[in-house]
Amino acid sequence: MKRLAPLSLLLFAGALAGCVHVEPWERGVLASPQMALDAMPLQGALRSHVYTSREAAASVNASGGGGGCGCY
Amino acid sequence: MPLEGAAAVAVTESAPSAPAESARLLSNASAALQLLSAAALMLPGVLAAPVQAADAATERVALQMSRHEEGRRDLENIRSSLAPIRVDVLQGSVNLRALDRLRLSASYSQDTWSGATPVTTAPLVADGNRAILRNSPQGVVVAGASPFVNNTLQLDAARRPLRTQGATPAVVDERTVHILSSASPETRDQLDVRTAWDWDDATLEGASGVSLENDYESAWGSVNARFDFNQKLTSLAVGAGYTHSRLDAILDPDLQPYLTRSAYQDAITRKRDSEILHGSRRDLTANLALTQVIDRETVLDMALGYTRSRGFMENPYKATSVLFVDPAQAGRSTVSADMRALLEQRPERNEQLAASLRLARYIAPLDAALHLSYRYSEDDWDVRAHTLEAEWVQPLPDGWTLAPRLRYYTQTAASFHVDYLVSEQAYRRIERDGSGRDIWFNPALPQTLYYRSGGQFVDAGGAAVDPGLLNLQPRFLSFDPGLLPAHFSSDHRLAGFGALSAGLSLSKQITRGLYLEAGAELYTRRSALQAGGGDSGYADFRFHTVSAGLRLDLDEARLRSFSRARTLAAADAAHAHHAGHGDGAHAPQAPAGVQFAHVLPTAGDFMLAWRSGFSRQAGALVQGTERVSDREVVDTACAPQAPCRFVPTSMNMRMHMVDVMYAASDRLTLMLMPQVMVMDMNLRELAGRPPAVPGVHEHTGIGGHSSGSLGDTVLAGLYQMGALGNGAVHLGMGLSIPTGRVDQELRRMFRSDGGRMHFDMQTGSGTWDLLPSVTWLGAFENVQLGAQFSAVHRLHEGNEAGYRLGDVLQASAWVGRAWSNGLGLSLRAVQAWRDDIAGDWRVFNARMGPMDYPHNQGGESLDAALGLSWTVPAGRLAGHSLALEWSQPVHEDLHGVQLRRRGTLSASWQLHF
Repeated sequence: MKRLAPLSLLLFAGALAGCVHVEPWERGVLASPQMALDAMPLQGALRSHVYTSREAAASVNASGGGGGCGCY
Repeated sequence: MPLEGAAAVAVTESAPSAPAESARLLSNASAALQLLSAAALMLPGVLAAPVQAADAATERVALQMSRHEEGRRDLENIRSSLAPIRVDVLQGSVNLRALDRLRLSASYSQDTWSGATPVTTAPLVADGNRAILRNSPQGVVVAGASPFVNNTLQLDAARRPLRTQGATPAVVDERTVHILSSASPETRDQLDVRTAWDWDDATLEGASGVSLENDYESAWGSVNARFDFNQKLTSLAVGAGYTHSRLDAILDPDLQPYLTRSAYQDAITRKRDSEILHGSRRDLTANLALTQVIDRETVLDMALGYTRSRGFMENPYKATSVLFVDPAQAGRSTVSADMRALLEQRPERNEQLAASLRLARYIAPLDAALHLSYRYSEDDWDVRAHTLEAEWVQPLPDGWTLAPRLRYYTQTAASFHVDYLVSEQAYRRIERDGSGRDIWFNPALPQTLYYRSGGQFVDAGGAAVDPGLLNLQPRFLSFDPGLLPAHFSSDHRLAGFGALSAGLSLSKQITRGLYLEAGAELYTRRSALQAGGGDSGYADFRFHTVSAGLRLDLDEARLRSFSRARTLAAADAAHAHHAGHGDGAHAPQAPAGVQFAHVLPTAGDFMLAWRSGFSRQAGALVQGTERVSDREVVDTACAPQAPCRFVPTSMNMRMHMVDVMYAASDRLTLMLMPQVMVMDMNLRELAGRPPAVPGVHEHTGIGGHSSGSLGDTVLAGLYQMGALGNGAVHLGMGLSIPTGRVDQELRRMFRSDGGRMHFDMQTGSGTWDLLPSVTWLGAFENVQLGAQFSAVHRLHEGNEAGYRLGDVLQASAWVGRAWSNGLGLSLRAVQAWRDDIAGDWRVFNARMGPMDYPHNQGGESLDAALGLSWTVPAGRLAGHSLALEWSQPVHEDLHGVQLRRRGTLSASWQLHF
């Protein structure tokens, strides 16, 4: 776990550096629905609920809370 | 939030969605100009929105239903007929902009689940799943598998399980199986609320929620912030949250006598026949995410999540099998092991860290987007997991979008995960003194010890005593928990495994602002799919999930209403006959408890509604109109050969329905109404009941029982007939499709089957039903009047379980008053007639009391109902309606013996656009 944190921060910084400037009027494609990070938001939420009751992995979106026992 | 939000505010502040008002607005040229410029600004690409926030900032209402269903587990030697796990989920959410920069959102979700779950894992030779045989017209059939978690088995010198069969030499059989137990349906409700404030380049959000189950309650809160910089090409999000959960698990009464729960003596309380295990847990979470526009066609998102958990993290319904080998057998080539089920023990602390990388890349030639993601997670329990996911989002003509998806997941086992344990000590042995003599005692005088050696009993002074006279018994010593690992679990979620899943999502724009989202996924859990291979193949299973939902984008819906109002206004100018249609959105609202109340006024109109109903029966048992005594119930309400044993003390029913209406023409409105039902019932024993018979289901413990699932789905058409008096008449015809269940079962108790639950606890009728109605709506000045006859007619002789619910006829009349601020008040009278059930159970039902006999159904009732409603008259939320109605029974004449109804609360939200 101790290795993971600094590595990720390094990646964050790297990502900032290596990108092109995109003017507001060039962002048409980026704003299209298929490019939304959650293209189908209703189903995305449902799927992550199903996975967390089946798998032991942690979530990166941990501040969502709730979820219940999932004791089956 | 930036321009988009501000523009949307401009649209709606000045343009309520009601078509008539919008039409009036047309004369106001500046407002129209504002609308057009707002619409133009909403075109993608024209404004600079931060990359990730567009979705959260959209004002919308979303409703979704889904079903998750597992395949059968492989039990090797027996085909379990226990129904696998099935979960029905209903979700509703609303995101609104209360002020220019203030967003509010709330979401509700309800899961009901039932089915067989593994309670522990054991060597196959321990024969943990035993066949339950039952006579049937086809002969003796295997009706299920019953869990046996304690047994004796043979092991070889290397402690491998041996299969012994008659005189044939024992062979090593290392196969392992889950021991399954059935669970009756349970329900979970979750409510989340969020508040966010948007600045030009930042957002601050506070969120909290609760999740409620019978045995598990958790409450959480979080604070999240997002900062946009670098001209919104970069967004940084940080968040922190805290969750507190409390567990009060009623231990499975069927297994409780066979579970070793000595590690939790201090955490278990007893109430009547039940044992309740208590625990609590706290989770602290933090996350950090960075979203970066890489170029005109690529977005990258990186996230880190940290969770710190403390407290009770066990699954209270899971045990680990321990094979106790008495050391007295040391040196033998074959030993006998005493298998016991110990409640699992997990560490009280865990820290988890996860990191993810997501990439969305536009594929120009196909106008599609490829989404790739990878997530790594590790924790203090040594679970390391990798998730790889790829999704292709392909827009197609006519508003369709298809998205196929593939996902691979692999995890290592938790350090304390075991299939089962072998311990070189006796589970229980007689205590001995220093010189090897067995210690005996008299339970009435436990301090005085006696000793047995060579068949002789002596006291501390060495004098011989008579064990029978002194009522002596041996003093037992339990196993030493210090010789077991500190932590152990055989929950398959903590085993090493891999999983592959494939899914397909689709979305379809039905009309401007209204989207259908549906999806299906197949998931295969395979030990062999674990990176590097795994050895928990006995726990492999599959499941599938299907879902369908509607998403209403309120900004787009307002624009739709506006442009339709303009079109209609133009049409009005040309053809006078359309005049007045635009007033439809202001038609009086019928009380919340009335179904099929409105025809939408104009072809192309939509209405989306959520309706909930809560009804309660409790208190006295009545026959006809009079109270009955326990004696009378025992003697008369059941069958002569099987007198009543139990009666309900209360029954609650909760219903949530999604109602989608579409005007196919100016006269014909089509409706689709799926619903979810949840019921619970508590019982009491009747005074003077006949004694319990072994093998016949008895109700014990403190828990009531509940059921729940998707209910029957109604498809309906309403047809506007024309004017009558000061109003208009419409006819309705609905078809109820039996998507609900009539196979909800009581769980097995003490090795006797529960059988099907009572008639009223089933979530469907099991038959295709017709629902005709005729409704008159009228008005005098500000006073609204309404009357409706409606009926339910069953189209079959009987359902799959053998019976047919009674037909229903209902007459209802109401008077209402609405004020200009949108508030309304209504009074309604409802007279209902309901037939008895025809036919009877063709399948096993435990016949516990009056609720299990068809003649204790039906009757007539008169209710008086008081209703309140509010239609938002102006502003951003103009056109949204809320309504509430309490229906109070004033007279009941019931067939047979039934529980009195206490009343029904109906609530609804609806939006016409």
